[in-house]
Amino acid sequence: MFLQVAAASPLLAAPADDPVYHVVTRFSPAAKPGMPGPYPGQVVRVHSEKSIDAQADKVDRAVVKQMLSSGMRALTGDTRDEDAWARFISPQDVVGIKVNCSGAPRICSAPEVVAGIAENLVAIGVPAKQIYVYERFDNQLQSVGYPKYLPQGVTVTAAESSRGSILGYDPRTYVETSFFGEEDTRSNLVRLVADTLTKIVNVPNMKEHQAAGVTGCLKNIAYGNFSNVDRSHRFEKTNTRTFIGTLASTEPVRSRVVLNIMDGLRGVWHAGPFSNSARFRFYPKQLMFGTDPVAMDHKLIEVIEEKRKQEGAVSLFDRSRDHLGDNSDPNRNRYIREPGHVEYAATKGLGVYDNAKIQLKVIEL
Amino acid sequence: MLLLLAALPGLFWDGGASTAPTLRDAGISHIVVPAAQSASWKDVSGITVETGDLERAVKLLAPTVNYRMNQASASREPWLVANGWTFLRQPRARFYYDVPGDPAALAAAEAFCYGANALIKTDAAGLKPLARMLDFLRGLSARGLSGDDLPPVADIGFIDDGSPAAGEVMNLMVRDNLLFRPVRAPDRTLKLNVRLGDKEYPLEDAKNPKLIAQAVRTNLTDEKRTLRIYGSPVVVARVTGSAGRLCVQLLNYAGAARKVNGIRVRVLGDYPKHQAAADDAAGVELLDYTAESGATEFTLPELKTYAVIDLSR
Repeated sequence: MFLQVAAASPLLAAPADDPVYHVVTRFSPAAKPGMPGPYPGQVVRVHSEKSIDAQADKVDRAVVKQMLSSGMRALTGDTRDEDAWARFISPQDVVGIKVNCSGAPRICSAPEVVAGIAENLVAIGVPAKQIYVYERFDNQLQSVGYPKYLPQGVTVTAAESSRGSILGYDPRTYVETSFFGEEDTRSNLVRLVADTLTKIVNVPNMKEHQAAGVTGCLKNIAYGNFSNVDRSHRFEKTNTRTFIGTLASTEPVRSRVVLNIMDGLRGVWHAGPFSNSARFRFYPKQLMFGTDPVAMDHKLIEVIEEKRKQEGAVSLFDRSRDHLGDNSDPNRNRYIREPGHVEYAATKGLGVYDNAKIQLKVIEL
Repeated sequence: MLLLLAALPGLFWDGGASTAPTLRDAGISHIVVPAAQSASWKDVSGITVETGDLERAVKLLAPTVNYRMNQASASREPWLVANGWTFLRQPRARFYYDVPGDPAALAAAEAFCYGANALIKTDAAGLKPLARMLDFLRGLSARGLSGDDLPPVADIGFIDDGSPAAGEVMNLMVRDNLLFRPVRAPDRTLKLNVRLGDKEYPLEDAKNPKLIAQAVRTNLTDEKRTLRIYGSPVVVARVTGSAGRLCVQLLNYAGAARKVNGIRVRVLGDYPKHQAAADDAAGVELLDYTAESGATEFTLPELKTYAVIDLSR
């Protein structure tokens, strides 16, 4: 059993009220952890107007396939898709595709994107039975209907078939902290990740998040892989700034997440991560690729900020208490958002936040 | 040390002898009736009868959980209606519940947990669940699994002045699984002693007893707590034990209708051996059991109403 004493010794210059985290894991880091991986600071954006019909909300699967191919080749420099994928995954791997279904069925990791990823894995020799599409909550996952898109034999599974059940989590791998004096102070790792998966492909969406500011790569692998995380918010206060990076850097998550493909075909610019109001949905029509979740999420912040600016909404970084309230108004929010969680994650060694050091390749299809 | 011998709660029944078939059908074999009814039950077979009344008994609340879903996230912790603190404050009192329906079973388990002398008044719908629970509890005692031969385990001495404020603090400590014992004066054998009005526990704070309970927890520290519960906010534990043995009784205040799917328990001390039993379950297998580095942890895969885990070295 390893103790990653994340902030048992609080970070220098950390605000005095930052939580103290006690990280308990039975996993040691891989020789080359998946994050930030072989391409720190590099982000590939593939945009296609044809990727989704915004009027019909219908995805063009063939275009998505092309986008996946272009993105992976651009990221790796390879000329063949198989070579690009083989840099991250081998046929012996048991691969998890971590989807995001918190806004499902209106917005989620699009099944066309997820299926495209699974097909590429099969193409490099990963047996379909060694591929798992997973999420925390079964009701959200089921609302999407992934199986009909996926190669036969791929498993679609959730950690919590019954909401609140701890049985789908590893009791020996957790991050312990008390945010507000809550009695249950542990957030445990999804058992599938601990016991079964050897690699993870992270497929977040492009969304604003009313607590974290944005929910992209980091939040999807952090809050999406651990139990009992919504305890980090209370009243207008949220501890997402430090909790997300702490969870994401906990082994084996840091080592096993080897690739991030952000599904930005659809997006949410306010009141996320859910998508109850059509008014706050939009269509970025893009996919982003990288191994560095920090750099990718920095680019996500820019996308959401730009859209909010267009809509006349306050910045994600706004901390005015005057703007707390019913978030049916795009200038109001339930929490003081913490988009600084992305920069904080850089301090945990998860990637590059400095924009001057981020290389963005943009491909237009 | 006073051992709280777990008496089996009794069914208080004020129906006449004509209701005997209903009781038999439910599996009830023993009742407590008002003196005025006693004669009518004299010749009824299959049901033993004793007389009693509720007049001098302390009325308890029907144990349950109020989820308060309409409240803001700041108070989304469910509100448990529990009677543990009342039992601890008045260990020699006679109690009664008036609890219709399924929760009669939870009431029986709660009283049994604390070794309380309690009667349960219920309606026809409560008879079968109550009878099943009483059978289960009787079986535990027969198997030596009730923990009633062991003294209660406490980390905290709480100087109870008998005030309502002290009662509310004790209530919250029970619900938060802060193991305490009411004491008349500080007990230096315990890890922490608490007296309302002391500098660390000002009476002003007692207006919000949660503040006091939090201060108690902070001062004790989680590391020194004999018991921790993970995975559900509606489970309360009662712990008894002595050197080499610990008995953990778990109550799900949401009752069987909302079973808990997985509860993780941590106790201080290495206990490599265990026995477990749960109501409405044929066999109980504890998952992910570890006993190392001064603590024992396990997962109970399902908790309907009540379970008991007997740990030993």
